[in-house]
Amino acid sequence: MTASKLASRSTLFTLLAGLLLVVLIGWRIAMLGDYTFARIVQDFLNALTLGSLYALIALGYTMVYGIIRLINFAHGEIFMLGSYFAFYAMTLTPMHWGLALLITVLLGGTVLLVLRSLFNLEEPKRTAALALLIFAGTFFLLAFRNMGWIEALLLSMLATGVAGVLLEAVAYRPLRGAPRESMLITAIAASFFLQNMGQLLFGPRVQGFNAETILNRPLNFTIGEETVYYTGILIVVPTVTAVLLFVLNLFVSRTKLGKAMRATAQDAEVAQMMGVNVNQVIALTFFIGSILAAAAGVMYAIRFGQIHPLMGLIPGIKAFTAAVIGGIGSLPGAVLGGLLLGFIEIYVVSLFPTLSAYKDVFAFVLLILILLFRPSGLVGEDLTEKV
Amino acid sequence: MMRNTLLTLATVGLAILGLYLLTQAEGSSGLLSALTLIFIWGIAAVSLNLINGQLGILSLGHHGFMLIGGYVTALLMLPEKERAPFRTRLLSDWARNHLDLDKWLRGAGLDFIANSIDLKFVVALFLAGLAAAVVGVIVGAPSLRLKGDYLAIVTFGFGEIIRLLPNAPEVAALTNGPLGIKGIPGDAGTVWWTFFAFLFVLWFLTRLKFSSYGRAFEGIREDEIAAEAMGVNLAYHKVLAFTISAFFAGVAGGLYASYLQSVDTQTFNFFVTFFLLVAISLGGLGSITGAVLGTAIVVLVRIYGGFLEKPYPAYVGYLGGAVVMLSAFAFSAYIRKARRLRPVVETKHLIFGALGVALLLVTVLFRNEPWMTQTVQFFGLRKILLAVILILIMIYRREGIMGRAEFSWKLIFGPREDIPTEEQRKQDAWLSNPDLNPDAAKKEDDDASA
Repeated sequence: MTASKLASRSTLFTLLAGLLLVVLIGWRIAMLGDYTFARIVQDFLNALTLGSLYALIALGYTMVYGIIRLINFAHGEIFMLGSYFAFYAMTLTPMHWGLALLITVLLGGTVLLVLRSLFNLEEPKRTAALALLIFAGTFFLLAFRNMGWIEALLLSMLATGVAGVLLEAVAYRPLRGAPRESMLITAIAASFFLQNMGQLLFGPRVQGFNAETILNRPLNFTIGEETVYYTGILIVVPTVTAVLLFVLNLFVSRTKLGKAMRATAQDAEVAQMMGVNVNQVIALTFFIGSILAAAAGVMYAIRFGQIHPLMGLIPGIKAFTAAVIGGIGSLPGAVLGGLLLGFIEIYVVSLFPTLSAYKDVFAFVLLILILLFRPSGLVGEDLTEKV
Repeated sequence: MMRNTLLTLATVGLAILGLYLLTQAEGSSGLLSALTLIFIWGIAAVSLNLINGQLGILSLGHHGFMLIGGYVTALLMLPEKERAPFRTRLLSDWARNHLDLDKWLRGAGLDFIANSIDLKFVVALFLAGLAAAVVGVIVGAPSLRLKGDYLAIVTFGFGEIIRLLPNAPEVAALTNGPLGIKGIPGDAGTVWWTFFAFLFVLWFLTRLKFSSYGRAFEGIREDEIAAEAMGVNLAYHKVLAFTISAFFAGVAGGLYASYLQSVDTQTFNFFVTFFLLVAISLGGLGSITGAVLGTAIVVLVRIYGGFLEKPYPAYVGYLGGAVVMLSAFAFSAYIRKARRLRPVVETKHLIFGALGVALLLVTVLFRNEPWMTQTVQFFGLRKILLAVILILIMIYRREGIMGRAEFSWKLIFGPREDIPTEEQRKQDAWLSNPDLNPDAAKKEDDDASA
């Protein structure tokens, strides 16, 4: 499918969804009359935030599926890891210099090894500069800074990206070429492993995630008589998401590694014949997907104020639904699907409050309907299986 | 044939005798409840094996069917005094008064069934299985058109919907909402009941496996297109297998509800399906014997692995971690050696070894620190263990313990097929005669030198 056709299709579906939304809101106002402009604005802000988060997580699902046809069940747990890393980065710093040194050596070493293998860092000077940057930066952050959310976000993204690469190397790489069902079973097992490991290491309790920043300071404003509850995070999430999407788009479309990724997604075997290091590309995919999931995890934690080891389950399955809605394997599709799902969820609950008990059921119903009647999603290509 | 039937009957007789002796023995309640659980989970595992192993379709919605069976059994069998409004607060009057097997039976004039709790349970479990089977058709008919991981996700979605629905306020009139239903009679959750139910399911599914239907299922697993070309009706057979599987899942759910004497949505969460998946993968996908073996192992790990989650001083945890790391190191080296890969130890495997040694050193160096001697408890270690087992099976031995083979008496008493008979030996005499076959002579030299 050409880019213009894809663009026109996604525009069409966005327009359709928007139209449906307007009709629903109009109907609601006409029928009950309690749906004010302030609520429309409020719901829009909430939906945009939630949708951006879903979009970020959905990208990880869709990229991995596009490359190795694996539904990475453990992606929700990667998201959970991201928020926990940021939580510890923010609460435990500044720490004792000895401990900071130990963590710096372990974390920095692993990060450096992974980055080297991912990005073909061969030039010694640049590698040394990067190593210095990573080690000094991590040590400085851990030992001397009381980390704010931006530093924690960056550090957590790096650490979670590495965790994703390790997950792939330990659990999925040995299964390259195995039946897809076996890979799916392994992914489910990995998900359970990480959930329970999280409960073991982080404790099974719900932890408060208090980002003491401007992000949670109320910036409420009024429209007419009503107050719109507004905090910094409602604008930060879409912004960060947009920036990350822009960078991702640049990476995939403009760099050599991005080209290799696209080639592998089209046909891994032929890409390998053309000299693409497929293992490296797959690891890179997991790295990028986990980075995005970590960003989503940290912002989700700031938005909802609490984290626990099973928090990845529901957002994970919803983001997967979003990826399927958009057409799994397609990057714009994942973003579109994420936003769509966010809007659907917020507006359904807001317009029909009696349905709020079915919020989670709804995602599954949508998932099943899409898979049954349009498995290729809204903008995805048809994936008919050949004999 | 005669001999095999006699042997089977003798084994069943011995098992009954053993069970009887066990129930008479003192202090055997732990073992009995372990056996009960093995039988209940065994029914569920064998039924899941019918889809995942024999039909070759990954279904992840088994917990939903078990939940339906559990709730149906609970509602039908709930005794009169447990139906009081304050015990089943959210249940509607209609459900409270009319969903009662006792009343149905007496209304139909079948008092002799209503007077015996065991017969009532037979009827209730049958109805529970039937309800699950109906849902199985509803779920299966549309979704079995899909293939592979899409199908897995759709069944997972259906299973989760079934699990989430009882908590919704509109459905609570039928399910008592998140409170669940308590006070179910435990008569069907005993070792005898589950044993005979288990025997029946084993008998039924083994017969099914070696019938024309079973062969059709395996044909679909091996190659759908070829099976269709040979005249197998794909949709019919798939939905049939799915329905049978759902039926027995419902029965297992009913038995489990009776064992626990209560049922709620947390009892049948996705972990149930995961647990069964570990069991059948461990035993070998497609083998009924394997499913039973796997279930036994997994249930025993779950019951007798309780010591793993007891409180210990922290250094036990560090030492355990060191042991795990070092054995992972040894295991990976062993695997590479067995596969004749060089180098035997790769750099990445050294990481495990280094971590193990580091943990050992930390334990020894800081053995008197307060954070090393404080008491800690490793919750969820058994689940982690199960997950690790599943990942290792998938990586190193995808066929599990049994592969697709079944237990048979022939395997033990019959002539061994891997050793040639006398006649075959004679026919192949020239192969082993060095005068006639130069290769044989060479091979003997090899053997001698080895």
